[in-house]
Amino acid sequence: MYHSFEVDGVDHTLWLSASRHGYRLHLRDEVIAPVAFTQRSESSGILTIAGQSEPVRFVIEGELIHLHIRGTTRTLRYIDPLRSHAAGNNGACPLVARAPMPGMVVAIAVSPGDSVSAGTALMMIESMKLETIIRSPQDGIVERIHVKENENFEHDAALVTLSKEGF
Amino acid sequence: MQQLPFDTVLIANRGEIAARIIKTLRKLGLRSAIAYHEIDARTPAVSMADLAIQITGSTPIASYLDTGQIIAAADQARAGALHPGYGLLSENAEFARAVTDAGIAFIGPLPDTIELMGDKIRARNFVQSNGFPVAICVTEEDDPATFASRAQAMGAPLLVKPSAGGGGKGMRIVRDLNTLEAAIEQARSEAGRYFGDARLYAERYLEYPRHIEVQVLGDCLGNLVHLFERECSVQRRFQKIIEEAPSPALSQEVRARICDTAIRIARAANYRNAGTVEFIVSGDDFYFLEMNTRLQVEHPVTEMITGLDLVAEQIYAAAGRELAFSQSDIVSNGHAIELRLYAEAPERGYVPTTGKVLLLEYPNDVRIDSGIMQGQHITPAFDPMLAKIIVHSPSRMESALRAHRAVRELVLLGCETNADLLARIVSDEAFLGGHFHVGYLEQNPHLAAGNFAAGMSAFLASAALLTRPVRDSADAVPELHSALGNWRN
Repeated sequence: MYHSFEVDGVDHTLWLSASRHGYRLHLRDEVIAPVAFTQRSESSGILTIAGQSEPVRFVIEGELIHLHIRGTTRTLRYIDPLRSHAAGNNGACPLVARAPMPGMVVAIAVSPGDSVSAGTALMMIESMKLETIIRSPQDGIVERIHVKENENFEHDAALVTLSKEGF
Repeated sequence: MQQLPFDTVLIANRGEIAARIIKTLRKLGLRSAIAYHEIDARTPAVSMADLAIQITGSTPIASYLDTGQIIAAADQARAGALHPGYGLLSENAEFARAVTDAGIAFIGPLPDTIELMGDKIRARNFVQSNGFPVAICVTEEDDPATFASRAQAMGAPLLVKPSAGGGGKGMRIVRDLNTLEAAIEQARSEAGRYFGDARLYAERYLEYPRHIEVQVLGDCLGNLVHLFERECSVQRRFQKIIEEAPSPALSQEVRARICDTAIRIARAANYRNAGTVEFIVSGDDFYFLEMNTRLQVEHPVTEMITGLDLVAEQIYAAAGRELAFSQSDIVSNGHAIELRLYAEAPERGYVPTTGKVLLLEYPNDVRIDSGIMQGQHITPAFDPMLAKIIVHSPSRMESALRAHRAVRELVLLGCETNADLLARIVSDEAFLGGHFHVGYLEQNPHLAAGNFAAGMSAFLASAALLTRPVRDSADAVPELHSALGNWRN
């Protein structure tokens, strides 16, 4: 059975099969065997991959797997096959303007009920040093503003929900 | 040695610098008190301080900028001295004056010196009138109505900068003069919000100079020494990410000249305590950029090569002691490099990142000045610097190797950092050869981009083996297992 992990926005499909010494890792264009993982403590273990041993530090946080291997840190997200089917994109959903980065709201330029066009400035945000204007991605009506001025928000937080005008 | 006139020091700062100051206070047998906002309750400095006093405000930053609450906290702690750290109120002359008026020793220069040197335009005019080289610039205040046209007349590229503040905030490069007006508007708005002072100036932007600064130290008797230079050219968006001492770019002759110029500028400004004179260096020429009237983020590299504790020296100077050494006693030893660990993703345009520190392991044999601990949330409320890794070795090459090893040994899970970028830089050929300038990262985008595919199979294998459903579906096919097993025999 195929499984998927997302790393930095890219999906990697793989599957494991049992082998005599641990498992085989089937990637898109190669098979690596044997692979095995021996856990040493709550957050450390040894990965054996193609005859080499690599110390691994890890923390599992729900579907996120944070890993530190050979001096490099990456976070992989396990894409649950059941959930990814259910979350198909529905065109009728209201559109949400999301935060491109964590930051703080400097000023809000619109109010609920305002009708906006694609490109209308919705709010000004500030992230570390730079001010950025969040613009409407489409024509519509401001349904809800999810943040207040001076409020901090995380990456990908919903800032403004828009609904399609007149339909 | 004579006793200090105070036994408690209030730290009006947070993060790694507050923790670093507390270490020296302990060493000197002084009590440490810190004024902190709730958001920082679980940080190293607050847990290390002998006394922690909570302050409040509409935002976390606002509470750290609230002079009244901070002085009240100092009174409550019976602090005889106050260390402002860097950033926040450290270069605010009004604050220094209020502290002094409250009968508390301000660990820094005189308020008048901060006023003179903390304002970039005033500092520049002062330095120029004393006969030292400065960059060509135009200031808004001279004639606000013609500021844009005077700036335009200098020609592109230009750099529009706020008169107040520092840390690269509010600065805009203008390469196309048609965008000048918009850049002025944005810089003015940012300067107003960050520093409460929207005055601007514009200077000719040199694309590829180096940024080199000189540490100075003075006592209240007028004795001044320099502690050599720091090379700070590895920057992104005007913020330093790697600093080292000595600079690989200076000849002995230029080093002597730049250090001497720094001392003479500091002397002209009647400078006391620790300060830094920043220069832009192009070939053998250099000119004054600005003076920072406080401890710098990158002060540890100077401490490593001189063996001095700069915070201790600051405290002695504030206590009225005479400098215990003269210029000829100060010797530069070996080579030190500092790497700044930031919560940001260089691979995605250096956007700041957030998260909870789920696992934190520091390398053992290097100096770490850390502002975070395991379990702490990294929020967008402050500057994204988390910690500094500082190494010291006999040679620059050994230092770079050690820095590379240390940053790869550092484990921080739960919040993305720039650690991989730092590792790539200190092993990059241009960096190792000493051939870089302030545009180095911009000119070498491959350093920030990284090698996405490298080592991916080890990550995928670990993730697969650590994910129950993935293992379960492999274990659910025992026939295949035995069949292949037999085949092997």
